[in-house]
Amino acid sequence: MTLQIGAILLLMVAAYAVASFKKLSVELSILAAAVAGGLGGAFLKTPPIAELPRHLVEGMFPYLDVMLVFSTATIFMALVNESGGVNYVVRGAIRLFYNVRVVALLVLMIIILIPGALTGAGSVSLLVVGAPVALALKALGIPERKVAAILFIVAGLAAAAPPVNIWAMILCAGTAIPYVGFTYTLGIPVLILGTFTILWFGLKKEGGMDKAAALAALPPAPPGMNGWRVLMPFLVFFGLIIANRIWPFATPIFGLPLEFTAAALTAWLVSPKRLHVLKLARETMQRLLPLLATMIVVGMLQQIMTATGVRGMISYSVIIIPLVLLFISLAVIIPVSEGVLTYGAAAILGIPLIWFFDSIGLHATVAIAGLSILWPLGDGLPPTALIGRLSVMVSEYKGTYWSFLRQTWLPWLVITITGILMVVYSAKLAFLVRWSM
Amino acid sequence: MSAPEPEIMAHPARLKAVLAVLFAALTVAGGVPLFKHRHYGMTFVAGPGVTKVIKLSDYSPGLKGSFTDPDVFILEGAEPGGKALLMADTHANEPAGLLAVLIMIENTVVEKGTLYIIPTLNVSGSRNTKAGDGYPLYFDIPTDWGKVRFRMGTRDASPLESWPDPDVYIHYPEKQMLSYLDVRNTNRTWPGRPDGPPMERVTYAAMELMRKEKVDIAFDLHGAETMFPVTNCIVAPQKSAKIATLAAMTVKAMEGYDSHVEPSPQNFRGLSHREIGDYSDTLPFLLEAPIPFLDQPTGPKTVKLLLDGKDPFLLSLAGKKKLFVAYDEKGWPMDKRVGQHMSTTLEIIRQFSKKTPDKAIRLTGAPKYADLVRDGAGHYYRDPAKAAPDRIHYE
Repeated sequence: MTLQIGAILLLMVAAYAVASFKKLSVELSILAAAVAGGLGGAFLKTPPIAELPRHLVEGMFPYLDVMLVFSTATIFMALVNESGGVNYVVRGAIRLFYNVRVVALLVLMIIILIPGALTGAGSVSLLVVGAPVALALKALGIPERKVAAILFIVAGLAAAAPPVNIWAMILCAGTAIPYVGFTYTLGIPVLILGTFTILWFGLKKEGGMDKAAALAALPPAPPGMNGWRVLMPFLVFFGLIIANRIWPFATPIFGLPLEFTAAALTAWLVSPKRLHVLKLARETMQRLLPLLATMIVVGMLQQIMTATGVRGMISYSVIIIPLVLLFISLAVIIPVSEGVLTYGAAAILGIPLIWFFDSIGLHATVAIAGLSILWPLGDGLPPTALIGRLSVMVSEYKGTYWSFLRQTWLPWLVITITGILMVVYSAKLAFLVRWSM
Repeated sequence: MSAPEPEIMAHPARLKAVLAVLFAALTVAGGVPLFKHRHYGMTFVAGPGVTKVIKLSDYSPGLKGSFTDPDVFILEGAEPGGKALLMADTHANEPAGLLAVLIMIENTVVEKGTLYIIPTLNVSGSRNTKAGDGYPLYFDIPTDWGKVRFRMGTRDASPLESWPDPDVYIHYPEKQMLSYLDVRNTNRTWPGRPDGPPMERVTYAAMELMRKEKVDIAFDLHGAETMFPVTNCIVAPQKSAKIATLAAMTVKAMEGYDSHVEPSPQNFRGLSHREIGDYSDTLPFLLEAPIPFLDQPTGPKTVKLLLDGKDPFLLSLAGKKKLFVAYDEKGWPMDKRVGQHMSTTLEIIRQFSKKTPDKAIRLTGAPKYADLVRDGAGHYYRDPAKAAPDRIHYE
């Protein structure tokens, strides 16, 4: 059986490689791999050819809810941005803290963290606040190469930050572990690593401009914008979440998509300038299409990999690695799997890993948190390299992609060590979960 | 010199139209089997012991008319005695429990006491599939007269019945935070509410059945991965522990299989073995039989794997001591799992009857572990073609 499954895996890899060579997009290449795997499996009736369309269609759906959250959250943040809220906050950070460099850097870090933490997607951070924050960082005298590195690492950490961490959500759903106890377990390492990253790259001023010039370089906030207008949509969003926590049995279930939609409507209503909601929503969805398509085809790939036994074989291969070697190899396995499969990696590799860790006495929730700060690093790796490419684009860095990636080596290393240590010492870190409950 | 561009590439609108047609064709070809699966009726024949079939909503109107309202088969004895409730398909991707209770429904005659049997507690989950996990849609059990077809469901109710999910599911009434998915998991929503989310209504109705009928013992039949620590066991709270221990010891000594006792954790809420005991006078027992099909490191997810439980990767992992059950070339066949559920259930009923003779439950016609391993589960299913129409039920 191993040989047959290995042959199907090779076929999938070959289909992916050919599609990439033919310059098809990552999404179409993954689709090609899924279809090729399904056809290869059909030779052995795993699955039978007549069931292949059903598997492909069913595979489109595992991430439907995640996609809805992603879409509504991004439209919400796009409205906040379009209303001038992001510019207002970035300008405020520079105006108030330009002369207190550490505080200015930390405020900018928080600004990058918020959209990703709310949506579980680092790309939303970059799409929404990336451009003004990049300008502010440059105004603080940080070169473009380092700005790109800051954006990449902090946006990745934003995706891992609570309350929405999609890797952790996928893992919890797949392992029957409650998606609770992550607030400090993820929040503390994310804040420490984010602080380290932004200070490592940004503490030293390398040129730049004075405060007045910096403010002049930033896009203006529209007249009438103020703190309340920025805050109100977030209050609505968190208000709905908190209401459900305080009065869980008297509050209807809204669901994250509706909560983000309510926040988006508030942002529209309190905006000091007229917003063309439908046009903005259309544009946002168009920008999101590659991401949504990735989630659909990754689900299809996951379904075919399971039906053919490829997923099981990969799980098996990971589990049989000797424990110490397994811990060390997480540094490679986790980011590379993300680079190839994006969120699908959490299901394919993460679920058996967590079962295994749990069975040897490690704390599953802390181990999930540890793994989910490693996964975002893979978003800088080909073939997808989603966050990496966006970081380069937003920061307008003109060098090669690899020179940008090399720049990130130290935070990358520190995050890797932190994530692995969180897994290894998860039982000792269980107090973080207790604090979070 | 580069190859000429195919003509269709020069006409994006035409290309889009072709792709849209292809996509529609794929959606229909792939969607129709999923639609049929959701609406497929499993055929159950009410055996000679079944005296009544009602709906669970008879105990809580909040379920009435919904796609989440299961049948309750009642088997009443001529002599009054104790009362037992058997529930299967709480997780509809763990089908050994369903096969076991169907054998009860089709064969058992109660002489003393009453049995209440809910074969598909989570009807919605049994009509749902696990997207991304490549399960087969159905599985067939061979019988002496042909085969019986069952739907392969999944762990959670369908979003078609319960949507949207909350960002976090807060358990009623203990307020413990659980994964958002657990709002659709009927083994996290006990004891439920009459007007809560759909799966809370299901568990509330079952609680009402137990409270109103004064049910003495309740069984929730499950399956668990061989790599999951809580497998091949009886999970019981303190108040059920003595009977569970005696039953586990007896089946080991008399019938030759292991089923150890696991204590029901007090601080993990929403599970049947915890809340039934805490919110009623009923003694709960959750039975877990190993199901290799659900393990992650397996070969293809086929009907064969579901039924024979044989997998080369699991065999290798057993050699490396990474499983929580004994595992060899024979795998872990469905008949053995169904047999374990049958015998453990019967033994718990026997131990309960011995302990409280005034509430004894006495029944005949239920095969035991050795019978099922020898004859196969299908041997005990009745041919609907030979049954009176009013004895046939479609679930």
